[in-house]
Amino acid sequence: MIQLSSISAKWDAYVCEPFPVLVRLSITRIVHGSNASEEDELNISMGVLLVLLAIPGGFVSIFLFDKYGSFLQWLRGQTGFDPLAAAFPDEYFFIVLSMAVTGGVAVWWWDSIFPDRRDFSNLVHLPLPTSSIFLANSTAILILTGVCTIDVNAASAVLFPLIVGGAQTSFGFVARFAGVHALVVVTASIFSFFAVFAIAGLLMLLLPYRFFRRVSLYVRTAIATVLLASVATSFAIPNIIRELPRSPQSPVRFLPSAWFLCFCQSLHGRSADALTRLGHVAIIAVLCACALSAITYTVAYQRCFIRLPELAGAPAGTLGRGTSWSFRLFDQFFRTPFQCAGYRFVLKTILRNEAHALTMGGFFSLGIVFASHAMLSAVNGNRISALPTAPVLSIPLILGYCLAVGLRIVFDVPAYIQANWIFRFLLDTNARETVTLTRRIVLCSVAGILLPALWIYAYFWGWIIALWHITVVVICFLLLTEIVFSGFCKVPFTCTYPLFQPAAVVCVIGYALGFFGFAIVMSEFEDEALARPLTRVIFLAVMLAVWYIAHRLNRIFVDRDKHLIFEDRPGAYFDVLHLSDDG
Amino acid sequence: MLQASALTKYYGSIPAVQDVTFDLKGGQVLGCVGPNGSGKSTTVKMITGLLDPSRGQVLFRGQDIHSDLVGFRKNLGYVPEEPNLYPYLSGREYLEMVGILRRIPQPRLGKKVDDLMELLSLHASRHSSMASYSKGMRQRVLLIAALLDDPEVLVLDEPLSGLDVSSALILKNLIRALGQQGKAIFYCSHVLEIVERVCSHLLILRSGAVLASGPTGDIQKRLGHDSLEGTFHHLVEDVDPIKVTRDILDVIRGA
Repeated sequence: MIQLSSISAKWDAYVCEPFPVLVRLSITRIVHGSNASEEDELNISMGVLLVLLAIPGGFVSIFLFDKYGSFLQWLRGQTGFDPLAAAFPDEYFFIVLSMAVTGGVAVWWWDSIFPDRRDFSNLVHLPLPTSSIFLANSTAILILTGVCTIDVNAASAVLFPLIVGGAQTSFGFVARFAGVHALVVVTASIFSFFAVFAIAGLLMLLLPYRFFRRVSLYVRTAIATVLLASVATSFAIPNIIRELPRSPQSPVRFLPSAWFLCFCQSLHGRSADALTRLGHVAIIAVLCACALSAITYTVAYQRCFIRLPELAGAPAGTLGRGTSWSFRLFDQFFRTPFQCAGYRFVLKTILRNEAHALTMGGFFSLGIVFASHAMLSAVNGNRISALPTAPVLSIPLILGYCLAVGLRIVFDVPAYIQANWIFRFLLDTNARETVTLTRRIVLCSVAGILLPALWIYAYFWGWIIALWHITVVVICFLLLTEIVFSGFCKVPFTCTYPLFQPAAVVCVIGYALGFFGFAIVMSEFEDEALARPLTRVIFLAVMLAVWYIAHRLNRIFVDRDKHLIFEDRPGAYFDVLHLSDDG
Repeated sequence: MLQASALTKYYGSIPAVQDVTFDLKGGQVLGCVGPNGSGKSTTVKMITGLLDPSRGQVLFRGQDIHSDLVGFRKNLGYVPEEPNLYPYLSGREYLEMVGILRRIPQPRLGKKVDDLMELLSLHASRHSSMASYSKGMRQRVLLIAALLDDPEVLVLDEPLSGLDVSSALILKNLIRALGQQGKAIFYCSHVLEIVERVCSHLLILRSGAVLASGPTGDIQKRLGHDSLEGTFHHLVEDVDPIKVTRDILDVIRGA
């Protein structure tokens, strides 16, 4: 007891030393993000973040119970069940999931992993060697990598082996499976985190600082797309990996996730030579990623952090020179002065503000992943048919849906909310121009997809089919914007965060169902309608009628009493009726 | 106590500061004034050791500050131009962190932070996130952070920015009092009236070079001006404010 209290006292004294204080500060900065500036920013606490990161692994494990449950196998009449062979694709999915989630976290923390300008101005003038800031930040990164890796994989490391080995009589099998699974997903996570970190460090070293800031946005979006694509293709890749011993030149051997699956198989003693060799590549890759990130971080710290005042003192770059012609292109579409100023503001905010650009990039990447999936399933060994099939028809719908929903969500994310005074000051809150503005922005953005799509459809199936399909798609988007932007009475980015927590789950389910209805079901209907010319005309007429009804209903019931808002407050739970008042 | 000799800084090939030399003794308050882009901030960064000079050196008690930067910074209190604070910390948390990093013993640190926050009217919001602080409150937090360890040298870059009248009055008196206690104070500002009232010595910069330096009264007497504003315009301003005002009015009317 005495020993425990003395250890506790020593620990309390230690955490008040400069080094732990610096580590704590670095952890807080990384988690909150270096751009965290005001109260209105979206702040996810570490606890919430850990819960969110742990959820996918846990859920997926539970869903697999159906596959491995012995009673269900008995009901299906499955005998001679080989759990290791059955776990092959699932193991791959868990590897990809852990890499995607941990890599996604590293992409999210991209800017805050390195100490920033704020750290410089607050810490460097204090009596501390700059090496201690470096060491504290390194320690914070290692702690967060460890916590994140354990958290992402904890649920699957416990539940998945229990589910796979549930029907096995030997505890040794479960323990061994659990050990191998945990080791593989943890190393895959570490590789993913440090690989992203190494890319950031390399870019920081190779590019001038200002250029790095611009380029990193695109690189982050590209990495996020790759991670999403790896999850989306995780159901197809394991079969190709199985065939690797027979076709060793398959490009799948370059996939890091394939290396880790081979590593897992070699630990289970189930791999052929070709797979074992790839398993070794996984170990080398982890070591290389760690070493490269350590080297680039050290050099980048010296080159960028220590020299921050030099970089700040250098002449500033310019914004927007030579881009005014691109805005003039759309001036005819946005007629009033408010619309002209508004769409320029919206486009510049999305392109230049990191959080907005990343969110939009994420949605568009999601669209590209799903569209690629649809395209692959359409052309997979098939010749081009006389009429486009449903997956082919769904491609512009998928891309446009992701773009439209992305815009709807990103418009709700405030950008430097203190600056919204200019809109509060200048705009008439009774004017309802924002509704028109936001809908036109979405339609303009979708036009960027539809024009090349028109040309591609015309090239393969002729102008009549292309024009008919694009007309259907345009009507679909008109309808979509009516639904998605119903009651949206804000200038994008200028309103406080909506109180979305109570409705967040409903929103996510709604958008997922909307995707299914809009992109999948609609393209199936369209496919059916394409077969007969008369049905095509009826289909078009019905679509137009549905859109018109939605449009009128919105104007009459939803938009009628709306005023421009800058603060999204919940409505009162009850109204005071003042029944005792005279008159 | 703090000497700068022939301080020069180039950003690429562009000279930001050229041959700035001064000698700041204990008890002196040296006011550094100059128009935007004259090199004030670069000079401040060099004398605090945040920026390496391209040429020249900064001496603290006769020793180059870069030979023992940590030792120099133990004796340095610094208020930067921008109150760039951590928005996810409260004012008290931030000051405690600074105190720990300055190795001030814990019981003394807590009391000192509380007392200073009380005296500078921050006590009520000491546990609030600094994201909710006004510019003046952030400036006061920075001021407390600079004074926390009773430094020998104080470098203040626009310390009155955003302060209300009473806080500004307190700070002006405090600077004078600290000067009388033998502290060396480098005071950078655009507000000429305050520099005139507070600073015993002046360093006037323009385009990175020293135009005039010495005791405030001497410079004014030498140039035959009663006020620092007159002296400043005589030395620095190459535009006619009345003509520019007229031109602006013309443009506004034209619009």
